[in-house]
Amino acid sequence: MSEQSKDVCDLISAAEASNSEAHRSPGGPGEPSPSASQAATLAGPESRPSGPTDGSLASPPPQASSEEGDPKALQQATEEGRAHQAPTAAQPAPAPPAPAQLVQKAHELMWYVLVKDQKRMIIWFPDMVKDVIGSYKKWCRSILRRTSLILARVFGLHLRLTSLHTMEFSLVKALEPEELDRVALSNRMPMTGLLLMILSLIYVKGRGARESAVWNVLRILGLRPWKKHSTFGDVRKLITEEFVRQNYLKYQRVPHVEPPEYEFFWGSRASREITKMQIMEFLARVFKKDPQAWPSRYREALEEARALREADPTAYCPRSSVSED
Amino acid sequence: MEEGRAERRRRTEAPSHTQGGTRRTGVMTDVHRRFLQLLMTHGVLEEWDVRRLQKHCYRVHDRTAAVEELEDFINNINSVLESLYIEIKKGATEDDGRPVYALVNLATTSVSKMASDFAENELDLFRKALELIIDSETGFASSTNILNLVDQLKGKKMRKKEAEQVLQKFVQNKWLIEKEGEFTLHSRAILEMEQYIRETYPDAVKICNICHSLLIQGQSCETCGIRMHLPCVAKYFQSNSEPRCPHCNDYWPHEIPEIFDPEKEREASTSKANRKSLRSRQH
Repeated sequence: MSEQSKDVCDLISAAEASNSEAHRSPGGPGEPSPSASQAATLAGPESRPSGPTDGSLASPPPQASSEEGDPKALQQATEEGRAHQAPTAAQPAPAPPAPAQLVQKAHELMWYVLVKDQKRMIIWFPDMVKDVIGSYKKWCRSILRRTSLILARVFGLHLRLTSLHTMEFSLVKALEPEELDRVALSNRMPMTGLLLMILSLIYVKGRGARESAVWNVLRILGLRPWKKHSTFGDVRKLITEEFVRQNYLKYQRVPHVEPPEYEFFWGSRASREITKMQIMEFLARVFKKDPQAWPSRYREALEEARALREADPTAYCPRSSVSED
Repeated sequence: MEEGRAERRRRTEAPSHTQGGTRRTGVMTDVHRRFLQLLMTHGVLEEWDVRRLQKHCYRVHDRTAAVEELEDFINNINSVLESLYIEIKKGATEDDGRPVYALVNLATTSVSKMASDFAENELDLFRKALELIIDSETGFASSTNILNLVDQLKGKKMRKKEAEQVLQKFVQNKWLIEKEGEFTLHSRAILEMEQYIRETYPDAVKICNICHSLLIQGQSCETCGIRMHLPCVAKYFQSNSEPRCPHCNDYWPHEIPEIFDPEKEREASTSKANRKSLRSRQH
């Protein structure tokens, strides 16, 4: 955790830099979602005086706005009383806000992280600061620490910094055994099956799968790009946008081809959550063949499984919704 | 809430162990933790799914233990969640009384869960639909009426065609239900937003006379105007051959629905197992 504390310091300064950049260039096309909508709530447009579209740090979510006065008031009070008080052990001036407020912030952050994860959205540190921590930036470290503690103790989840470079966090399971959850719940199954179908096609090909090839495969499931499906809805939108947004797939233009064609690749999330052995098992089930019917792929899957076992046993195994069924 | 520094460090290093001497009233084990994780992942679940989930968690972490009664199991977890201002809330679908569960945040009054999913104009469209639904007599707002408000939306201009798709997105994300071109709130939305709705629309909001919760769909007394949820009506007038309004005692003019029976439901669904058609289940 101490290592993370140091990372957090770097994060805070990096986040400040990137946030000020975000002000200067509103609505960058590469952003996961515009900063304005992050802070906007249904109550927002009516109750807040400043417009939600300027993305300014001065318009925090409604919960935080009522506390804006408190840290300032506290600071004033401590400044007046500084002469008479002995300096507190860990904090340099100004004095920290009441523990209850830090605790509340930790609870807000916990919920924020849980919801982001539920929707499979990126947990981005600058967003955490902007949307939740707000004016309590200075106490970010202790808030983060408390949130991690609660998540671990109550949910059995680790809030881990997965990339200092991109400032991304993710929630990973901290429970033993690290097995995949048997998602026997019907409403998740269809999505997983669809995704696995595409991922396994890409895997078997050994390179990107052209969109036309993917649709040939999906035709087996009775899915067509122009037809709305009762469970999936707009299938094309689902696989080219939603799965891509969740980082399960990559959808890229094939270079130097006219008229334009697109192909699918495994996304970073798929690489993290889904093992090659799972793909082989899926293929075996679907085609009613032995996994060894794809010998080179099977060998690759074995290699990967061995590498995973030999890797540090305390290394995290990300949560996955992929079914064993 | 003040903890010694050394104590905190110890807990940080071994977070997965159940802490002895916990200050909380309930005890969290890995069974409960996995349950919470999965409940959060799925957003909202029907009771039979929740029971299966509970059994799964026991199977994974504590095969030998007896599966605790669901209500006690959830109350136990809720006692731990209390200090975090979240809880596992139980509700029911308004049309047929199926029990549903969701993990909800009690502290927030804004619809923060939806906010990061949708753009500003989409959120505003939802708000307009929500207002129409709350103001309506039936709890349903027609597609036409919602779409007619498209010009009044904040943010980027939205065409009616686009708005139709956004409404479908709400349906897929379980915020709205569509029935014959009309929209009402999904039980998930009611569970998660009840507090927000009651605080934002205190005058327009309707309350059930029996359970005192938010009411969107229901039956009303034509004499005195009190309202009841359909499942509440079913339970209240259960074996009553002459149903009368609990408030003004006038004859209750509506058909009394059946009480939701999970056993009957399961029989019905297994007989339909071979049929491919998707039942449009109202949640």
